[in-house]
Amino acid sequence: MSTTRDNILAKLKSHVKDSDYSKLPDEIGFTYPELSFEQQLEQFTRHLSNNHAQIITLSREDIGAVISKELAARDITSLLYGDNCQYSKDIEHSADSITLNKYNFDFSLNKQCLFDDTPAGITGSRCAIAQTGTIVLWPTPQEPRTLSLVPPVHFVIVDAKTLYPTFADLMEQQQWADKLPTNAILVSGPSKTADIQQTLAYGAHGPKELIVLLLNR
Amino acid sequence: MSAVQVNPNDESKYAASARAFRDNVTRDLANDELRSNFRGAMDYLMDKRKTAFNDAEELETLREQCKLIKQRGLVKLPHLLEQLEEKLTANGIQVHWAETITEANEIIAQLIESKNGKTVVKGKSMVSEETALNDHLETQGIECLESDMGEYIVQLAKEHPSHIIMPAIHQNKKQVADLFVKNIEGFEHTTDVDALIQQGRNVLRDKFCQADVGVSGVNFAVAETGTLCLVENEGNGRMCTTVPDLHIAITGIEKVVEHLADVPPLLSLLTRSATGQAISTYFNMISHPRQPGERDGPSEVHLVLLDNGRSQMYSDDELRQTLQCIRCGACMNHCPVYTRIGGHAYGTVYPGPIGKIVSPHMLGLEATTNLPTASSLCGACGEVCPVKIPIPKLLLRLRQESVKAPNAPQVMKGQGSGRKSSEAIIWSLWSIMHKSPLLYRVGMWFATRLRYLMPSKIGAWTVARSAPKLAPRTLHERVKARQQTAKGK
Repeated sequence: MSTTRDNILAKLKSHVKDSDYSKLPDEIGFTYPELSFEQQLEQFTRHLSNNHAQIITLSREDIGAVISKELAARDITSLLYGDNCQYSKDIEHSADSITLNKYNFDFSLNKQCLFDDTPAGITGSRCAIAQTGTIVLWPTPQEPRTLSLVPPVHFVIVDAKTLYPTFADLMEQQQWADKLPTNAILVSGPSKTADIQQTLAYGAHGPKELIVLLLNR
Repeated sequence: MSAVQVNPNDESKYAASARAFRDNVTRDLANDELRSNFRGAMDYLMDKRKTAFNDAEELETLREQCKLIKQRGLVKLPHLLEQLEEKLTANGIQVHWAETITEANEIIAQLIESKNGKTVVKGKSMVSEETALNDHLETQGIECLESDMGEYIVQLAKEHPSHIIMPAIHQNKKQVADLFVKNIEGFEHTTDVDALIQQGRNVLRDKFCQADVGVSGVNFAVAETGTLCLVENEGNGRMCTTVPDLHIAITGIEKVVEHLADVPPLLSLLTRSATGQAISTYFNMISHPRQPGERDGPSEVHLVLLDNGRSQMYSDDELRQTLQCIRCGACMNHCPVYTRIGGHAYGTVYPGPIGKIVSPHMLGLEATTNLPTASSLCGACGEVCPVKIPIPKLLLRLRQESVKAPNAPQVMKGQGSGRKSSEAIIWSLWSIMHKSPLLYRVGMWFATRLRYLMPSKIGAWTVARSAPKLAPRTLHERVKARQQTAKGK
């Protein structure tokens, strides 16, 4: 195996002519116009809505009530959430009619249940990107990767204060290059496909619905 | 060592279908339903792209920037691959190298067998199509199910993708419904796309839940951080890389990018060029296998880096630009030839303009000698390419390579295989004649005087056209006559 590696690298290296990287031409990016917070928020919600996400603007204390209402409207009575997370306490204020399940188990032991008997999940988010209407998920042991992926309805809490103008700004300011998690996910709507005759259909494999709880009050 | 190796036992199944290019074209041009499916799809995709790039200055700036990003990556390619390997290994992701498609398939089969894996779910990966991974795993008794909706349809139909982004673009909803009826028990015929997708979802969710292994492609492999980035809309890529305990990613060596900061502009151009989306629904960045304390995610992640002709592209400065490709498919969406003949006629994994410049390196010019000629050189592909690959220029270059003299220096596998001695003699006579004014004049005098000897049937040319007629007098003679008349006045 190592010989294959060495072969490939040797072939490539034999054709590297100039290793003076300082001679490389300047790469100039596009400078996007600076937008006010309101404009960014408008951009963020416009893109997300166009991509079929439902956006509910609310204050933190309303999280429980809003979740209860949205779940009831969908005839869903249980919700999977992360324990000891930023918004866990707020989620726990939901109506008594909702069974709240903590994701405190190993996925492999509860796979079938997660796939078949978990109608909805809720997660927080690390931040958001205005330019493309994107939410950044940064899964943790408390809020694992599958929590935002397997349940057909995904509630995600986004704090408007964490909005960045572009993906590039976000990466630079948060210094992503220094430390990336096991998995970082950018989400810009519910799962979708246009693979059959260019007809858009939602809920291909991931969540059919993305409900964004936007904290901005 | 030589950059060009021929291993006849390692020939891809696509070599044979590429050799049949002309027959494939005749077959598919006569298929009205197919042509209507492609026309509709290409119009849709061109329109989407146009809407997504409403600022011409932004588009041009991004194209230039991304071209330079990819070219920088290529200048540093061997170094970046070493860095990528080092970072991935430090992150706990194991790296494997494969020169040929057979090596890649064997590495993957061994990894699966080492875990006693029986079922595999695969996210969309054109490189795994390139290696015909599914066929190989099937011979090992391993079931490999495609999970991208388009790929799933194509797999049910026992076909291969006709488009690199939208694999089932050649089928309409009625054809998909017919296919489901034939293959899925209890499926009731409907042409409602939501219902069809729902059906696919139900079948595949079970498979995701049960699968031992997930296989995926990679859109960008970041050397700086050791991160595998995947672009997708459906969520099947996330499923394949999250749910099974073993994740194997496979990609070409050209997918490495140097910095994490290189990703945003490339991503922005990729999704907008491909489907006109500002960003895909999911952008998945994987940097580690499951870490202690984490409750899900694969415990092992592997990356297979495939050469398969890429180092040959790398060996020539002009042909190297082929490796800038980010696989957006815009060139095929805008290609008048692709739109008419469809993706399967090419017989190769990668169809359309990019396929015509990539496939000769993978399959050899002998099998693909017709492909670079299947272009009107209208230039649309080069104009829309987000990383400014001069595709028409490279097509011309490959045409030259395919007729190169036997004693010319070796640049690529199968070069000179399209060379016909009769054609070569005609061109060398042409060249001699055009270098000598006297010979040229005498030759042209005879050609014009003997023009009635020109046959009315000249092979392929006159199948669909009338034979050209030579003028009664040469241009030189006519200009001279004109000048004399003018003087006389």
